[in-house]
Parts: sequence; structure tokens; C-alpha cells
Amino acid sequence: MPVSQSAEEHLKLDGISVSFGAVNVIPSLDLSVCKGEMVALLGPSGCGKTTTLRMIAGLISPSSGRILVGGRNITRLPIHDRDMGMVFQSYALFPHMDVLRNVQFGLQMRNVSKQDIEQRSKEALELVQLGQLAQRKPKELSGGQQQRVALARALVIQPSILLLDEPLSNLDAKLRDEMRLQIRALQQQSGITAVFVTHDQVEALSMCDRVVVMRNGRIEQFGTPTEIYERPATAFVANFVGRTNRLKGTVGSDGRLSAAGQPLRATAKLLPGPVDVLVRPHRIALKPSNGLAAAGDGNVVEGTMSGIIFIGDLVQYIVRAGGAEIVVEEATRRERPSLGVGDKVQLTWSPDDTLVYPDDDK
Amino acid sequence: MRSGELAVLLLLPIAMINTIGFILPVLNLARLSFNKVSLGGGIENVFTWENWFGLLTDSFYLELVFNSVWISLAITLTTLVVSYPIALYLHRSSGPWRTFLTVLVISPLLTSAVVRTYGWIAILIDDGPVVSAIRALGLPVPSLMFNIKGVFIGLTEILMPYMILALMAGFGRLDPRVEEAARTLGATPARTFSKVILPLTLPGIALGCLLCFVLAVSSFITPKLMGGGRVFLLATEIYDQAIVTLNWPLASTLSILVLIVFGAALWAYSVVLRRLD
Repeated sequence: MPVSQSAEEHLKLDGISVSFGAVNVIPSLDLSVCKGEMVALLGPSGCGKTTTLRMIAGLISPSSGRILVGGRNITRLPIHDRDMGMVFQSYALFPHMDVLRNVQFGLQMRNVSKQDIEQRSKEALELVQLGQLAQRKPKELSGGQQQRVALARALVIQPSILLLDEPLSNLDAKLRDEMRLQIRALQQQSGITAVFVTHDQVEALSMCDRVVVMRNGRIEQFGTPTEIYERPATAFVANFVGRTNRLKGTVGSDGRLSAAGQPLRATAKLLPGPVDVLVRPHRIALKPSNGLAAAGDGNVVEGTMSGIIFIGDLVQYIVRAGGAEIVVEEATRRERPSLGVGDKVQLTWSPDDTLVYPDDDK
Repeated sequence: MRSGELAVLLLLPIAMINTIGFILPVLNLARLSFNKVSLGGGIENVFTWENWFGLLTDSFYLELVFNSVWISLAITLTTLVVSYPIALYLHRSSGPWRTFLTVLVISPLLTSAVVRTYGWIAILIDDGPVVSAIRALGLPVPSLMFNIKGVFIGLTEILMPYMILALMAGFGRLDPRVEEAARTLGATPARTFSKVILPLTLPGIALGCLLCFVLAVSSFITPKLMGGGRVFLLATEIYDQAIVTLNWPLASTLSILVLIVFGAALWAYSVVLRRLD
């Protein structure tokens, strides 16, 4: 899902820093979001992603820096003048109002005419397929329905930016998949700029045009889902996004890489010193060892099968090789030759799939 | 033993205590209100509507009931207005600061109402600090003690801890995220208060008002001491009839009337709660 070429900058965070008391939560943050794109803020808890979102909404004031929307500085604008549509993790519906009045609230605050309020709130409820539940109170709705009301309430005011704070984390897995598609579809239909906070990499990669991976209040990488997954900028990103094998290795003064007691090849340029070598489990091919060294310029590692975990659509093979444990994932197939624990196996993968980072013991 | 039988067994002691300690005395009180008082304070065990007719046709008593209810309502409302911001602040504070403030709010309850009333008398009396300060400012000097103003001020302060605790107990639905949602949807702080915070805290308001109204109607020591014998309320009149005049049947009739007022307050409370839900 590439961003259109004519994309113009819509939201800009410029040198933002946030402190809570003596704690500097966000040291300095720069971020630029284009009009109509959906950007994920992805990271572990405490990485500053929710703080960043709340700051855009005005619920937290930055200690320094500027927030610009469409070129206009809104850093000091009060919350109610910011024109943001926010969806909260807990939905934060007004418990004393029915669904319809929840959706109408933002329009009433904007002094929209009665006729328009009726029409737009009705349309918004139709959009999330809740027209028939307009008279219900929030507590009479399921989690997914409450989520849709929250979404309708945020979208009906046609905000300049839609802010989503872990909107799917309180839903069960099946519903989450449905809502993912629905939120993305609504966002694209309305062409609204959206910022999506999540700790779930699947949500970030599957729903968003671009992903910001954050750690300790800093941006580790900002790129498209493919870039984040295929070319992680740091070992942290590679570890956080998708599953990965992490091997301790070294690069010699001659530029040769070795890990797990074997020489390896990588495409990237290497600097001498201790390194982390990362390989995605599903990019490794596995076959019974024939005792012959494989030809070609791929990486070949001999090892012993030490465990097999059947997940359903996936099988994980755990292979011990040169003192390291390497996980290999394969899609399950019916005609898979049977491999057992203790079998000698051969692992191969391409130098392109060998990610090498300076040793990161953090 | 089935769980239903066990429940009955467990409820039996409190049911008995309530029957002996509350229901029987109230029935006795009701019976007394239909008896007749003889000269010298004796009670004639006859059935008569005299007390009730006398009460409902005597403008003094009608005014007494009306005044008691009206003053209690006004005190309740004033208590609510001054307690609400404190309760809201307490609800939002956290950690040791919250504990400290809560103790501060509760601490007046550890002192008897008599002591607190005398404290107020010392403060509000003519030539006391408040009146002296007003005089020093060259403003017209009000008389704050031994009249309804003193009773009003004293009772309001004495009822505040109850109101604050009741409000806080009823603030459970107040979620900071909901307030934030209102703000992001374009509500100013004032409109957030009137459209979201206030409606969500109505259960607490109803509970606090019920509690304080009942306490105000039945308050005796504060009106007795601070009213200086010039403020006539239901509770003080019941005391006078029972202890001074020794007219127990009339005192009983007035007591039953107070119970009827409480019944009406409870009914109003349940109506409000049902409408809120």
C-alpha cells in the first residue's frame, strides 16, 4: 500500500520533548505524517507511543517543540479546539447517553444545526452498521459494537486527524481481525489522516501505510511495513517486528562473518567487532543432512534436531547448531518427509536474509 | 443444610435485633401518638385522634414542619455546593496526598458534634473573631449567633464530611478517559462539566443529599445550642415536648411525622436513582 506520490505533509512533530516530573519520557521526537495516510506508532509498553498520541490530542503538553497540522502551529491550542477524533482503548463512551447521543455529542459541541446533526449522526451509525442500535445504552452493547460506536463518534465530526489508541486490544482475536479491516476501510473511504498506536506488530504491518517503531521515547525506524520487516534498521526493530533467530557472532578484521561456529555470508557491509546475526525462521530451508557440503553461495549450517512444535498452519523445528539454537518455521504440508528429534539436518538461507547488527546488549 | 436455610439462619440475629431495637419501639411510638396526656404528664391509655388533629390544624406546628424541611433542604444544598469541589479534587488525587486529604476530611467526625458546635459558637459569637473582622472592615455587623444564620453555618460544616464521603462513594462512574473523550470531541471544560461530569456524578449527589437531609432534619444539638432557643425545628420541639412539657403523646406524633418526612425523602431518592439508571 504505497503512499500516493503527491502526498503532502499534514501532521508534523518538530523537536518534541515530554517530561513527567523529573522523568524525560520523550527526549526529542520528529515525525511527519502525510495527508490521508495511516501511520502506526509501534513499540513495547513504556516506549512513549501513547504519550505521543495524547500529546497530539492535547491531553499532554510537550515541554518543548512544536506540533503542526496543515502548517498551523497547534502546540498551545486547547484540546477542544484541536479538531481531533480520538478512539480510546477503553472506548470511553458516555455511559449516561444512548448510542445516538454519544455520536451526536461532538456535533452538538460544534453547534451544528439540528437538521445536520440528525442526518450526519444517522449516516455515521449506518457507516459502522449500528443504525438499529441507536437507542441502546453503551453497557447494553458488546465490545465490538462499543468499538464501532467510538469510531462513529470520532469520525462524525470529520476531524482533521483520527487518533486511535490501541483500539483493538480489548477485543477477542476473531473480532480483532474483522475490526482491523473495517477501520482500515473506513479510514481509506474518508481519506482521513490517522495515527494508530499499537503494540501489536500484525496490526501495524497489515493496517498502516507507514510504521514508526519506537523505543524509550525515540524513533528506531520509520518506514513502510515492507521496509520495517525486510530491512530493519536496528536489531531492536528486527526483534520486535516478526519472529527472528538471534545469534551471537563476530566480524573478523578481514571482514569475514562467523556465528554459531560457522562462517556465514551477508549482503550488508560489515564492520569488525562483535555482532548480532538475525535470521527470520521462515527464511531458513531445512532438509535431512546428506553429509555433503552444499554448493553455491548460500549459508549452510549443519545441526541436530532438538525439538518439533506443531502449531497448525506452522511447524517450528528447533535445531541445535554450534552451541546455538536456531528456530526454523515451515508451512505445514501433507507430504512432508518425517523428521524426528535427534536427526542430523542441514539449514540453508540466503545472504540477503542474513541481518547483521553491531552487538546490542541492551 | 441448603443454602437458603443457611441464609435465613444467618439473617436471624440481625432480624431479631432490628425487631426488638427498632420496629417494636417505632410501633410503640405510633401507639403513643394516639394516646392522651393527663395533667402532670401521665399517659392515659385511650385511643384518640386528638394529637394528630391538633398538629394538623395548629399553624405553629405546620410552620414548624415546613420550616424544618425547608431549612434542611437549604442546608443540604449549601453543603453540596461547598463539598462537591472538595470531593472531586479528592477523587482525582492519588497516593499519600490523597490519604492525607481523606484523613483531613474525616477527622472532624472524630470530634463530637457538641464540641464542634461550641467551637462555632466561639467563632461566630458577637465580639468573636468573625464579627470583629467584619466590624474592622467597617461593614454592617451581622448577628451570626443564636439565630438561624448560626444554625445554618454550623450544620453545614458539621454535615460536610458526610456529604464528601457520600459524593466520593458515588463517583465510581467518573472515568477520566470519558472526560478526555468529551474534550477531544470539542467540549470546553465548562460544557464537559455540565454534560458529562455532573450527570455521571448524580448518583453520588443523590446519596449525599439524602444522607445530609436526614441528618439535618434530625439534628438536635446544633440547633439547640446555636439557635439560642429562638430557632424552632422538629427535633428541638420533640425534645421540648418530651423532656420539658412531658407531653409524650405529642412528642410521639411529631416523631412519627419526622419518620414520614424521611419516608418521603427516601421515596424521592429512589425515584431519582431509577431515572438515572
